[in-house]
Amino acid sequence: MNDAKPIPHWRLLAGVNRIQSWRRLATAVAQSRLHAFLMGLFVLSYALLAYALFHKALQFTSSFPGLGPVLIERMMFLLFAFLFLLLLLSNVIINFTNLFRNKETQFLLALPVPHQVIYRWKVFESGILASWAFLFLIAPLVAAYGTTYNAPWHFYFVTPLFVALFVVLPAILGSWAAIGLARWVDRLAFQVAAVLAVIVLIVFVSSWLQPATVTDEMLETRVLDVVDRLLSRTKFSLFPFLPSYWVSSGITQWVEGALMGTLFFGLVLLSHTLFFGYLASTRTGGFFYGALSSVNSRGSGSSAGWKFWRRKPALGQAPFAPKLLDRLAGLLWWGRADTRALIVKDVRTFLRDASQWGQSLILLGLLIAYIVNLRHFSHRLTSDFWIDLTSYLNLGACALNLATLTTRFVFPQISLEGKRIWIIGMAPLGMRRTLMAKFLFSTAVSMSVTMALVGASCAMLSIPLERILYFTLTVGVMAFTLNALAVGLGAVYPNFREDNPSKIVSGFGGTLCLVLSFLYIIGMLSLMAATSRWAFGGSSAVIFGLGWALFLGGSFLLGWLPLRAGIRKMASVEI
Amino acid sequence: MIEIEQLTKQFGDLRAVDDISLTVPAGEFFVILGPNAAGKTTTIKVMAGLMKPTSGLVRICGFDIGANPIEARRRMAYVPDFPFLYDKLTPAEFFRFTGKLFGMEEVAMEVKSERLAKRFNLGEFLAKPIESLSHGTKQRVAIVSALMHSPEVVVFDEPMVGLDPHHSRVLKDILREQADAGVTVFVSTHQLSVAEEMADRIGIMHKGRLVAVGSHEELQAANRDDTLESIFLSLTNDDQ
Repeated sequence: MNDAKPIPHWRLLAGVNRIQSWRRLATAVAQSRLHAFLMGLFVLSYALLAYALFHKALQFTSSFPGLGPVLIERMMFLLFAFLFLLLLLSNVIINFTNLFRNKETQFLLALPVPHQVIYRWKVFESGILASWAFLFLIAPLVAAYGTTYNAPWHFYFVTPLFVALFVVLPAILGSWAAIGLARWVDRLAFQVAAVLAVIVLIVFVSSWLQPATVTDEMLETRVLDVVDRLLSRTKFSLFPFLPSYWVSSGITQWVEGALMGTLFFGLVLLSHTLFFGYLASTRTGGFFYGALSSVNSRGSGSSAGWKFWRRKPALGQAPFAPKLLDRLAGLLWWGRADTRALIVKDVRTFLRDASQWGQSLILLGLLIAYIVNLRHFSHRLTSDFWIDLTSYLNLGACALNLATLTTRFVFPQISLEGKRIWIIGMAPLGMRRTLMAKFLFSTAVSMSVTMALVGASCAMLSIPLERILYFTLTVGVMAFTLNALAVGLGAVYPNFREDNPSKIVSGFGGTLCLVLSFLYIIGMLSLMAATSRWAFGGSSAVIFGLGWALFLGGSFLLGWLPLRAGIRKMASVEI
Repeated sequence: MIEIEQLTKQFGDLRAVDDISLTVPAGEFFVILGPNAAGKTTTIKVMAGLMKPTSGLVRICGFDIGANPIEARRRMAYVPDFPFLYDKLTPAEFFRFTGKLFGMEEVAMEVKSERLAKRFNLGEFLAKPIESLSHGTKQRVAIVSALMHSPEVVVFDEPMVGLDPHHSRVLKDILREQADAGVTVFVSTHQLSVAEEMADRIGIMHKGRLVAVGSHEELQAANRDDTLESIFLSLTNDDQ
């Protein structure tokens, strides 16, 4: 039989996953050196550009005597407080998938590997997956903070240590939350809780973001008082029991040369990391196994979770009788039956995947909260310049939000057909019409939502009707382009092996889609603002017309070219 | 040896496994049959420790899978209907990995994996990435990795799916040899011919219950029927 010596499971798992990751990377590079080069270039460019911009912004802010350092310090506290929240949310989602929906986890559970080791390994993996992108995004800002205050060289070595200790806490707390959700919350409860959470979030953010009343007289004579009132909204980031407080305090004090203070906060962070790390690595495996059993038991054919709100079919009603969505799709009388069926299938799949609609609900909720607050904000806007600036920024915010949604939800559409692609591939519907149906449907939905939101936000700003039409039409065109880009690139770079949309999006195609979308929005927004008939000095009718022509032409090309490439790719795809 | 005592598994209102008791002694080749959704895979998942039973218990070689899962799994080989494999590894690397998880010695690992790989004609695929292999070849890789640590209990869920006739024969022979050598073999299948040809005893599940257990001859005698197909159909027919 087997020898009795202890088996280093952890090292084995790390080794096998390291080989897997390395080979995946090597395959990606070997498949397209150009893609790999572009990715590398993008990463480097982002780091350098972001550093330069952050450095400039911090220098500008620090130039205000007395006020600058206060604002910058508060910004650091806010940065880490929000980072903590985002990491926590991200860890909950990734841990849930990794611990309870992962094939490797199920495979390992049938082997003589202790639950504790599997749990520990999966939390480690999830922590890295959840944190790396956030850390990559904030690294230039922290570096710029250091150079702005001429921090000593060791600041750049100590800060990563602080951050490394810090990210362990949301990883562990996120895994515990995921275990709790898996153990006690079924699908229905989760759906209800998610909707309630978003409603609470909208109400809370709407009231929290309400601007304070500040008169011109106060701005002239009591600046510090005004700043103090504004900063009072951010006081939550100074709550001393938040891990983000410890890391921000440690870093800011290090820059100020208060090394003892840094040491104190470093030790606070270390002790908490060790304490929670010890609990997680030695005591949580049993809870994980119990929760996994609950998930496996819940997911195997039971429809109990759905019963509450699913109406029982009336006596005599056939199970194949058309349901509400089928009837709604029937209203699209000009569309073909097979296209309507495809749309109904996509909508059903989306609605039944809580992680999909949950995320879009959060994004949409934040946008609604922001637009609702414009009502308060618009009363303070007295000059045309600020109204123009706000309306263009508003357009940009909506478009960027839309780009996030199209990249996150529209781009993976073709890939998500996955191994089932043969079903539509073999149907008389054809891949071309499949692609066009997905494009037209997502465009119609996002166009109506964003046009309504931009129209509403313009109305909140009380700008004239022709300008409302202008902004609404602009975002409508952008919705067309962003959807075409996402569908097209999704078909050009499909990933039929992956079932997880987050992983599909994080590949080369998804990243390219996001980057192109953002560049398009920034470029077109600048063009529209520069050639505006009324804003920022106003342009002549010719310049205005030329600007619109360029906008329409550019938008059409950026949408049509990827869409055409996607259609061609799909026509030649081997199923 | 597998001991199942009053095992029940409930999914909400649905009782997937309903008070099953069964003992499969060492050296027996036991085949479990049943229509779709009869509860076979659920029973096997509870046996493998992937789910906790609602009530009852399962013992593998005397170890309760709930209370002492590591010792139970150390003695068991489990291959699910759709096995997981690390796509970017080669079969040889995968065998080493699973062998080490079971704490096998280097020499034993090499000898046993080589011998089994040879029987399943995996020689030419050993250095190729698993992702490039066909479904049947992947199935053979999963079977070799499960058997190489010389388990005392073998639990396979639909192992013939994806295998060509030649490799189905190889698998049947290997499982028969294992049973003859004292290993407990527990296989679920839809292929009645496998049960007829290989099984020492056959169990038939229907709607979560074990509706019949016995050798082929015992089932024939009890049901006054000749073929396993007609016995199976009569026991699992809802209209009767």
